[in-house]
Amino acid sequence: MSGETNKAIECSEFDRLLMEALDGALSGDKLKRFHAHARACSACGPLFAEIDAGRRLLRSLNEVEPPAHLVNNILAATAGLDTARLELPGRTVALQPAWLDRLENWVAPVLAPVFALVRQPRFAMSFGMAFFSLSMALNLAGVRLGDVHHVDLRPSALVRQYHMTAGRVVKYYENIRFVYEIESRVRDLKRATTPAEPAPRPEHQRKDNNTSQHEPKPERNSSWGDNQPMLASGRQDRLVTIACASRRLV
Amino acid sequence: MEDVQVVAALIRRCIAGDAAAWEEIVRRYHRRIYNLCYRFAGSGEDAQDLTQEVFIKMYKTLNTYDDERAAFMTWITSITRNLLVDHFRKTKHDRMTDSLDVPVSEHEDAMPLSHRMEDHSPAPDARLQSRETGESVHHALQKLSPELREAVILRDLQDMDYREIATVLRVPEGTVKSRINRGRAELARLLERTYKQVM
Ligand SMILES: [Zn+2]
Repeated sequence: MSGETNKAIECSEFDRLLMEALDGALSGDKLKRFHAHARACSACGPLFAEIDAGRRLLRSLNEVEPPAHLVNNILAATAGLDTARLELPGRTVALQPAWLDRLENWVAPVLAPVFALVRQPRFAMSFGMAFFSLSMALNLAGVRLGDVHHVDLRPSALVRQYHMTAGRVVKYYENIRFVYEIESRVRDLKRATTPAEPAPRPEHQRKDNNTSQHEPKPERNSSWGDNQPMLASGRQDRLVTIACASRRLV
Repeated sequence: MEDVQVVAALIRRCIAGDAAAWEEIVRRYHRRIYNLCYRFAGSGEDAQDLTQEVFIKMYKTLNTYDDERAAFMTWITSITRNLLVDHFRKTKHDRMTDSLDVPVSEHEDAMPLSHRMEDHSPAPDARLQSRETGESVHHALQKLSPELREAVILRDLQDMDYREIATVLRVPEGTVKSRINRGRAELARLLERTYKQVM
């Protein structure tokens, strides 16, 4: 197309050299002729400019930092599994009761009533709901949620996480990583109850209570705004029940 | 990049039930996998879930890895890519119905679609501008078709060679190259105003 000299390359040759040019593998005369064609050809020139610009933009992206707790979550999620086993479709479902059993043993003295409640079929509580209840029970027992650094378990965060679309909630709570978070919480509970534990600060309790009571903020989009009131009222009814039960027996 | 012998030993120890070896594998590769998931899926939250799924899958199928057939990195990238494809299929409908609902991610270069670069005037501060460029490139990436998106991510962000990418995507190398260039050009067109300012 350019036909400047008999040394000039054609569009087909330009295409063939394109990847090498972009990868910096062209040099000398070949590179000169490549660029000469790019300047002269109204089809190849703009195409090369676009591809090159896209490449630079992509390569300008920095690597992002994974969340600090990711490694621990992965290790926790794989801890109960046998390596190289055939994948079972009902994996998470099968794991949950076992984990609940273990958890029950750890926290039995304090939280047995909550588990009894959780396990009653009439409450038909999901694992996620059980976790959420446990969080609230711990909260009422005076465990300071703000002390857990590596996972965001502040009531506001839980409320936020809970208020996703129904499908999202199921997926999230079925996720085994919650088990890890429960473990963390239980460790915190132990730490908080065994040594000379300072009485829960009234202002802190007030803060937590407030956070758990007030209406969730419509933090992000409006597309699931319709679901919010329903989810919120369902959550609070159950929480009140569980909170009362645990308070009576702690 | 990966020491073949060290990785092979780690895998052997892992299959034998050595938890420390597994932890080492997780520490070595989680960052790369997380980044791949984040750039493909768009949100940090999805990237966390997906990265965890990748490692669960890896853990269960470690004994099927054959170092004669592919480098370990290529193998885990294939696992990741397959899970990303599944994820894309599952969430396609959701994303079509609420395309403006890109979750606010914890990463600094993420921003809602409604604040895309196209709607912004150029930032006077050079540092600000480069951050905004990162944000807009990340969001433009989400608008590429999954075929083009995965190709450019593997090449330009993960630095894989064409042969490795061809193995992961199970298409010929020529197809890989064409998708990479189409993806780059498409991205540049989406960000035309931005790149004319920075380049
Ligand atoms: Zn030409």
